[in-house]
Amino acid sequence: MLELSGKLKQLSGLSTTSPPSLLRVVTTPALPKVLARDAAYLCQSAEIPVGFRIYMALESNREFLESVPSGERRAVLPDSASFLREGDIMRVSPSSGSYRVVFRSHSNHVSILLTERCNHYCLMCSQPPREVNDDWIMNEVENLLPMIPIHTREIGFTGGEPTLYGDRFIRLLECTKTYLPRTAVHVLSNGRIFSDLTFSEAYAAVKHPDLMIGIPLYSDDPVRHNYVVQADGAFDETIQGIINLKRLKQRVELRVVLHLQTIDRLTNLAEFITRNLLFVDQVALMGLEITGFTRGNLDKLWIDPYDYRDTLGRAVDILSAYKIPTAVYNHQLCVVPEGVRRFCTRSISDWKNEYLPVCSSCALRGRCGGFFSSGVRYRHSDHVQPITTA
Amino acid sequence: MSVNRQLEIDLEAFGLDSIKRAAYRFSDRFAFDIALAGTTAHCTLIFPESDSSSSIDAKIAAFRKELLDQDLRSSIRAETEHVRNLILAEAFSRTGLVSDEPLQGD
Amino acid sequence: MSRFKEIEKFQAPPQGGYQLLPFRFTALEPEVYVATNLAGEYHLLRSDALCALVHHELSPRSADFIDLRAKHFVTDSRSNVSTDLLALKVRTRYRTLAEFTALHIFVVTLRCEHSCPYCQVSRQTQDRAAFDMTRETADKALNFVFRSPSTNIKIEFQGGEPLLNFEIIQYIVTAAEQRNLSKRRNLRFVIATNLAEATEDILRFCADHSIDISTSLDGPQDLHNQNRPRPGRNSHQKAVEGISLARRVVGRDRVSALMTTTAKSLDRVKDIIDEYVRLEFPGIFLRPLSPYGFAVKTNAIAAYSVVRWLEFYKEGLEYILHLNRLNIPFREFYASVILRKMLTSEPSGFVDLVSPAGIGIKAIVYNYDGVVYASDESRMLAEMGDMTFRLGQLATDTYEQVMLCDNLLGPIEASMTTSVPMCDECAFEPYCGADPVYHHAVYGDVVGRKPESAFCARNMGIFRYLITKMRDEPTTKQLFMRWANS
Repeated sequence: MLELSGKLKQLSGLSTTSPPSLLRVVTTPALPKVLARDAAYLCQSAEIPVGFRIYMALESNREFLESVPSGERRAVLPDSASFLREGDIMRVSPSSGSYRVVFRSHSNHVSILLTERCNHYCLMCSQPPREVNDDWIMNEVENLLPMIPIHTREIGFTGGEPTLYGDRFIRLLECTKTYLPRTAVHVLSNGRIFSDLTFSEAYAAVKHPDLMIGIPLYSDDPVRHNYVVQADGAFDETIQGIINLKRLKQRVELRVVLHLQTIDRLTNLAEFITRNLLFVDQVALMGLEITGFTRGNLDKLWIDPYDYRDTLGRAVDILSAYKIPTAVYNHQLCVVPEGVRRFCTRSISDWKNEYLPVCSSCALRGRCGGFFSSGVRYRHSDHVQPITTA
Repeated sequence: MSVNRQLEIDLEAFGLDSIKRAAYRFSDRFAFDIALAGTTAHCTLIFPESDSSSSIDAKIAAFRKELLDQDLRSSIRAETEHVRNLILAEAFSRTGLVSDEPLQGD
Repeated sequence: MSRFKEIEKFQAPPQGGYQLLPFRFTALEPEVYVATNLAGEYHLLRSDALCALVHHELSPRSADFIDLRAKHFVTDSRSNVSTDLLALKVRTRYRTLAEFTALHIFVVTLRCEHSCPYCQVSRQTQDRAAFDMTRETADKALNFVFRSPSTNIKIEFQGGEPLLNFEIIQYIVTAAEQRNLSKRRNLRFVIATNLAEATEDILRFCADHSIDISTSLDGPQDLHNQNRPRPGRNSHQKAVEGISLARRVVGRDRVSALMTTTAKSLDRVKDIIDEYVRLEFPGIFLRPLSPYGFAVKTNAIAAYSVVRWLEFYKEGLEYILHLNRLNIPFREFYASVILRKMLTSEPSGFVDLVSPAGIGIKAIVYNYDGVVYASDESRMLAEMGDMTFRLGQLATDTYEQVMLCDNLLGPIEASMTTSVPMCDECAFEPYCGADPVYHHAVYGDVVGRKPESAFCARNMGIFRYLITKMRDEPTTKQLFMRWANS
C-alpha cells in the first residue's frame, strides 16, 4: 500500500504561514526555467539544476540537498514517498509540515476527493464523514484540474458526498469538460440531490461527453437500504434521483457493496433492478473494503465472500439474463464461482492493491484483481487458494 | 332431471356483486338462480343430472371458498380504487417529468 | 459505535399501518395464490397470508410484508416511490399502443399446389386473374400501410402460396422501399411460404431486400406429409431442401418455421421437436389446435381438446427443458411471449395475445381481392361464409372508413379483458389477451363465457404451469429469464 500523504521530515525556505500550494513533481534536470520555476525537483543525485521552486529528496538521500544553494526552498520526504514519479502533483502544506500526493501520472485510477462531508453515515463507509468546512478542497481542485495532463483517460470525483456543493459541483463539471475535454469522468454520489429536477437539468445541461455517476443501492427493501446508509428517506430520494437522471439520458451505474446486511436480499435487489430500473447503464457488485467504519462494524458486516458465492452467482445470472451490463469489483477469482469470473475486473486502485504470498503460484494471478491492502492486513476470505489451470 | 340445492347467503356477510361474480365463475359447473328477501339471498344451484352427490358437495364447497375470495377482492377494489386511478393517470399522462420518451431501451 | 442506529430505528412501528396497492389474485393450487400487481409482477401467497394481508393483519416487520412492499403490493410510511414506479412500469407496458398497426399482411394469391386439410383458403387452380392480387390493389394497400403511424412496419406476404405470384411481391417490395425513402420507417418484409416453388433467383431477390422467410414444418417426414399433401407427396423433402437453399442464399438466421398442430400431432411432440432440432432451428412455436375447420359443438369436446393439448404442450416443454440441460439452446416461443409479460414490463409484439385485441390496431390483412380483414382468422371465417370481421374494400373505402368501422371497433372494445367478467378480476390478465375472433367463431360472441372458454382454460393452464416450474426449479427460472429477454 502506498502512503499518499505524510509529514515532511524537514522543510526550509517556506514560512509556516504560507498557504498550501500544488506543485508538479519533476525529475528532469534540464527542464526549461519557465517551467522549472513552478515545479518541485525531486533530487536524483547531488547535481542540482537551477531555477526550481523547491528541491526535495527522500530521507535516505537527504545528503543530495546539501548541494542546494542556501536561500532556496528545501523539503525532505519520508522514504515511503519513493513511489513519486515525474508528472505527479503534490500539495505541500507549510503550516502543518505535511504533504499529500493528489495526482499520480502512472496511476490506473485517478480519484479526487471533493469533500469529507456527507449526508449519509454508511455502516461500511471507507471515507468516514467529517462535519467540517472543507471548501478549500474545492478551491484546490479547481486549481488542480488545469494541471492534470490532457491525455488522462479517466478521473473520478468522490467524497463524502460531492453534490453537497450544489451549483459549485456543476461548475466543477463544466471546468472538467473544458480543461480535460477527452477525459472520462466518474462521479460517486448517493444521488439524492437529483430528486430535485432542476438540479438534474443543470447537471444534464453540462452536456459532458463522457460522464457516469455511480449511485449505491443496497436493497429492494427501503428499510434495509436506509439502515445501511443510516439515513431515513434515503431510498426514496435515491430512486427518484436515478429516474430523473435517466429521463435526462444521463449515464447511471448502480453500486452494491456486498456484506452481511446486503447479501440476504441480493437476489431480490437484482430482480428489483430488472423490474424497476432496467434502464441503468451498469450494475457493479463490490467487495467490502476493511477500512473506515467497516472495522468498527465488522460484526454486523463481515461474511466470507466464498460463503456467499452462490448468491453472487445467482444475482449475476439475473442481471445478465436481462442484459444489464454487470461488473464484479474487488473479488478474487478463487472465491467466486467460475461463471462469475468473466464479470470480475481489476478494480482496486494500484496504490492500495496487493496479493497474498499464496497467489504467486496461481494460474490466474495475471487476470485477478487481488486484494485491498486493508484486506490483506485485517480480513479476507479464508478460502483463498491458487487456481491450477484445468 | 337436474339436481337442485338451496343456499342461503347473508347479504351482510357477502355483497350481491360478490355472489354474482362467484356464480359466474362456476357457470360451467352449475346454473344459478337468485331471489332476494331482505338481507338474505336465496340461491338455487342447479346441477346436471350426471353429477354424483359427492361431486355436488365438492362443487358447493369450492363455491363457498370462491365467495370468500370474491369478498377479499371487493375489499381490495374498494381500498385501492383511488390510488389505481392515480397511477393509471400518471402512466398515461403527457405532463410530469421532462421527456415523454420511454426510459427503457435506447 | 454509538453513533450508528439500529435497524429498528428505520422500521415501521410493530403495529404500523399500511395501505394496499391495486392487485389481483387467482388460485395456483389449493392454498396457494398467484397475486399480480398493477404492473403485472407476480408474487405467490399462501391463503392465510393473503387473508391477513387484505384484513390489515400482516405485521410490517414480517418477511411476507417486506417482500410485498418491495414488489409494490402494499405501501407504508417507509417509502413513497411505489406509485411512481408502478406508473412507470404501466406506461412502459402500454408504450406501443400508440404505434398502431405494425403488421400488414398481403394475401398475394389464393393459388396453391398443396391441399392441406386444415387450410380454409387455398385454391388449386391456374386462374391467376381470379385469385391473384393486382398492382392496383397492392398500391391501395400500400397507401393504408403508410397511413399507420407505426415506426416499425412489417409487411408479410401470405397466400395460398405467395411465391406463385412472385411478380407482385417484387412489385410491392420495390414500391414500399421507394415510399419509405421519404417515410423513413423501420421497414421489414417476410414471406410465409412452403418453399416448394423457391428458386435461387427468387431467394436472391429476398437476400437483396433483406426479406425473411417463414416456412411450414409440421414435424418429421411422415407427419408433415400426412398433414400437407401435394402432388408428388414430397412436401417435407421440398421444405427441407427449401430451408437449406434459403439459408445459403438469404441467411441462416433469416429462415424460421411454424408448425400446425393437428390431432395427429398430439402424440408426436418429441418427434416434432427433434425435427426442429435436427434442422438446427433455434426454437419452436407449439401452437394450439386450430378451431377453424373443426366444428366445436359441445363443451365436452372443447374440454377434452384443451386437456389433451395441455398434455402435449407440457410434454413438449419438458423435453425442451431437458435439451437445454444438455446445453442445446432451444426455446419454446409461446412460452417466451408469456414469460416476457410475466418477467418484464416490456410491451409484447405478439398480436394474438394482447388486450385490447390486436385486430386491426396491431395487425391487418389485405386480401388478394382488395377486401380488408381484421386478422388472418377473420379472412378464414369469411371463406366459410362469416363476414363479421370484414372491414372494407380497398377499391371503394377510405382508411378512416375501414379503421373506424363497427366491425372493428365494436369487438375490440367489447372484448377488452380489463372490462369483461372473470378477466377483470383475474391475476393472469396482464399475461393474457382478448381474442374476439376466436370466441365469435367458437362460441358465437366476441367475449365468450370464460368459465367455458377453451382459450381461457388453455392459457390459464400454461400460466399456472410456467409459474409452478419457476417456483420449483430455480435453474428453469433462470432459463426462462433469458427466454423473456431474447
